[in-house]
Amino acid sequence: MTPRRRRFFRLPWRSKKQIRADVDEELGFHLDMRIDALVSQGEPCDRARAQALREFGDLDDARRYIGAVDRDIEAAQRRSEIMFDLWHDIGYAIRKLRAAPGFALAAIITLALGIGANTAIFSVVNGVLLEPLPFPQPERLVRVVYTQQGRPDVSTPMDLLDNRTRATKFAGFAVVEGATANLVRDNNDAERVQAVRVSANWFSVLRVKPLVGRFFADDEDGANAPNVVVLSEALWRRDFSGDTSVVGKVVRINSAPFTVIGVASSAQRYPLTAELWMPKRITPREFNDGSRGARWLGLLARVKDDATVAEANREVRQISEAMEKQFPEVLRERRARVSTVQEYLTGDMQKPLFIMLGAVALVLLIACANVANLLLVRSTAREGEMAVRTALGAGRGRLIRQLLTESVLLSIAGAAAGLLVAKFGMHEMLSRAPANLPLVGTASIDGRTLALTALVALVTGIVFGILPAMQVGKDDLATALRSGARGARSRPAAHRAKQAIVVAEVALAVTLLTGAGLLLHSFAKLLSVDTGFRPDGVLSMKVVLPGRTYDSTATRNFIRAVEERAKALPGAKDVALANFIPLDGSSYGFAFTIRGRPPVRPSDEPSTEVRQVSSGFFATLGMPVLRGRSVAETDQPGTTKVLVINQSLAKKYFPGGDPVGQWLSLGWGEDTTGEARQIVGVVGDVRGSALADAPEPTVYVPIMQTPYSSLSILVRTNTSPATLATPLRSIIRDLDREVPVYSVQTMEERVAGSVGRQRFYATLIAIFAAVALVLSAVGLYGVIAYAVSQRTHELGVRVALGASGDRITRMVVGEGLKLTATGAVIGIAGSMLAGRLISTLLFGVTTADPVTLVGVIGVLTLVAMLASWLPARRAASIDPLVAIRGD
Amino acid sequence: MDLLQGTLDVLVLRALAPGSTHGYAVSRWIHERTDGVLDIEDAPLYKALHRLERGGYVSAEWGLSDNNRRARYYSLTSGGRRQLKAEESAWRQYAAAVFKVLEPA
Repeated sequence: MTPRRRRFFRLPWRSKKQIRADVDEELGFHLDMRIDALVSQGEPCDRARAQALREFGDLDDARRYIGAVDRDIEAAQRRSEIMFDLWHDIGYAIRKLRAAPGFALAAIITLALGIGANTAIFSVVNGVLLEPLPFPQPERLVRVVYTQQGRPDVSTPMDLLDNRTRATKFAGFAVVEGATANLVRDNNDAERVQAVRVSANWFSVLRVKPLVGRFFADDEDGANAPNVVVLSEALWRRDFSGDTSVVGKVVRINSAPFTVIGVASSAQRYPLTAELWMPKRITPREFNDGSRGARWLGLLARVKDDATVAEANREVRQISEAMEKQFPEVLRERRARVSTVQEYLTGDMQKPLFIMLGAVALVLLIACANVANLLLVRSTAREGEMAVRTALGAGRGRLIRQLLTESVLLSIAGAAAGLLVAKFGMHEMLSRAPANLPLVGTASIDGRTLALTALVALVTGIVFGILPAMQVGKDDLATALRSGARGARSRPAAHRAKQAIVVAEVALAVTLLTGAGLLLHSFAKLLSVDTGFRPDGVLSMKVVLPGRTYDSTATRNFIRAVEERAKALPGAKDVALANFIPLDGSSYGFAFTIRGRPPVRPSDEPSTEVRQVSSGFFATLGMPVLRGRSVAETDQPGTTKVLVINQSLAKKYFPGGDPVGQWLSLGWGEDTTGEARQIVGVVGDVRGSALADAPEPTVYVPIMQTPYSSLSILVRTNTSPATLATPLRSIIRDLDREVPVYSVQTMEERVAGSVGRQRFYATLIAIFAAVALVLSAVGLYGVIAYAVSQRTHELGVRVALGASGDRITRMVVGEGLKLTATGAVIGIAGSMLAGRLISTLLFGVTTADPVTLVGVIGVLTLVAMLASWLPARRAASIDPLVAIRGD
Repeated sequence: MDLLQGTLDVLVLRALAPGSTHGYAVSRWIHERTDGVLDIEDAPLYKALHRLERGGYVSAEWGLSDNNRRARYYSLTSGGRRQLKAEESAWRQYAAAVFKVLEPA
């Protein structure tokens, strides 16, 4: 007989044992044939056998070898069969999906939203939290951070000294200090840039190389070292057109000449916002135990290669404990720990980002539920097809595999579309991200994001496909075949599955809606906080006077000149100069004493913010003077030293009494004489640093009595405040070309900007919740519409028996609301749990915020009524004759 | 005489060229064609057959032999045929070159 060349029918896969038996049979046949041949030539049987074996050679070795080769062949065959099936299934699935374009499009759009949102958020998480910072061994690069009595604290030169002399687990410590820089190159106008002063070893602790030129030499932070500066790549490209001959060039910074020595690359720079690095010179006065209380530095360090970060952490803590023993008053309960630079930068973004991830995961789950529902409806319609294939010999497993191929194919198509959604969404999202979210700009769809998207697509396809696929072959074949041609007989179990899915969807949507509602409500609360000033109509800007050319007299003259000229501008009502703008101030907390009260321990001294303001300040910002008087133009050097306190300070330190007329001594950098100042008035509180932060006790000192070089200029106008920006700029330029104006914003912009993060998070969550709501409404609509189409006959009979259209509508809408209510109850329980996760992001609302809950339920009921009213209207308009005959 | 490395494969492919047959027939055919000059054991022959199957040069099916026993029948695939042609011409060139060298000038 001729053996077959191809296997038309599949043989069952051979086991190892069967392969061995086959090999033995084949070789046995050979030996038998040979022995027979030899015997027929006249050899005796036993000799024939011996000869056959001799001719064969190493039989055992051959058996082993052949067995191994055959197992390879078998495995390859299995693989190719699976691939063949897969290709076949994919081809089949594509034909089936093309035959139902409406279904395919609905599913793909739904999945694209779900997967795209995940890809977009993950790429931000990836860029911010997962992607290591671009420094060598970034996990060993740490900030040493301090807390005192539980509150965050900054460092002193003495901290640097303590750690440098005592620590053994570190390769180096460096310090950084925020600085102001008015940069002037050649004959251009002054430009305000972000600058830092750093110890000379800064870049060697970072272990980065300069893009151009060199970084600081070890002794360049010495007292007599010449002025040198490192530029950022961005500044170099912008202001020096990327010219490498910039090295050696002299620029003026704060009116002093500095020689450019190098450029730091954009890819490897720290701090991320810095545009200039200058050496930080620590004076002998600062390296003194007496200045342990004056803190303003940041500490960067690199952990040694042979030490762990945990060991380093323990060490700095021990050092801080030892220092507290030496200086129990000033360093009371002051503790150090290390935090990797990445954590330091992004620590407060971790939680919001994970919440966003959770939110988009919920959206994806809802999308899955929707597609699962679509598939369930479709699988009812395809029962006939499945029955035919079963009759032709396809096993249930094979059919499930086929259906899962279809759903994975759908989800891959959805993921591909989702990448487009993500790309567009990220562009929109990143362009709206507030500037103070570090590293967010680095987010992009990279290899890791793509891999995750692919994985999500695969898992998604299986998740939404498995339930509908499992419905296959549950009926007995004959029934299915008989009704097959007509398809669609709704099984109660399948209908219950659809209902359960809708309930789950609604529950997920409610959870997300509640989360969004809570964030939006807290955002609204935040915006409605009484700032204590009237932001409308006020323009603000900042200047910094170079200390080298401005002594206190020159500063006073400058302030006076700005006041006079700005007041003369058409539309200007009030003008103020101060070292402070509400919502923009950082808080320090200077210690003070009240004359006539018994002395207290230094760490228990009352503390206050100190702001220097001109006489027009309270009027310009619309802050009410509650008692006494405002800062007056007559408060000049040589007159009585005075101050105005805010309501918080009055309440806290003068409860019940009248503070006006009392005397305070400020232990304050600019006024080290400790000379007392008399309280002349009390003004209302303003939010000093952020809307969410309660007002701190604050004193306002007349700026003319203690002039300050870093100035804010505020102008209240009758007109649109932004129109005064240009004339004000030219006033400053006319006064001094080397003083750049920066941070020009209306006060309303500042208020909006101060809640940028909250606005960003709330907007994102609200978008996700809206998508979730729409998706679950579509799901509800689908299920109700399908149920109506299944019940055409029954509804027709009801109409024939006299049921009114209203009654039918109520019945159908009632079913939709029942499902919604069930989902809502589960969802609210879920949102109580989810609420705990976001409680730290909330402001002024609790997780069980009644406004939010009522709002969510109201919105949900409306949407659910609409989603079930549409099919109900169709149900109510059923013509009984058609319905009954059509069955 | 010992077999040159890789020679066995080409002999097996050639043995299968006339049509499908089992390992025993391949073994006898090679033995007869070489008049027993090449001393080929059967073990490496069977190894070669299965190796060629794994390489896709031959395919194998169980069938019935003349004496009605189950035997494994091998036949050349199209890839096997191509391989045979290629190896055959390589061998001929090789042999011709060797002969040229050996012939008296």
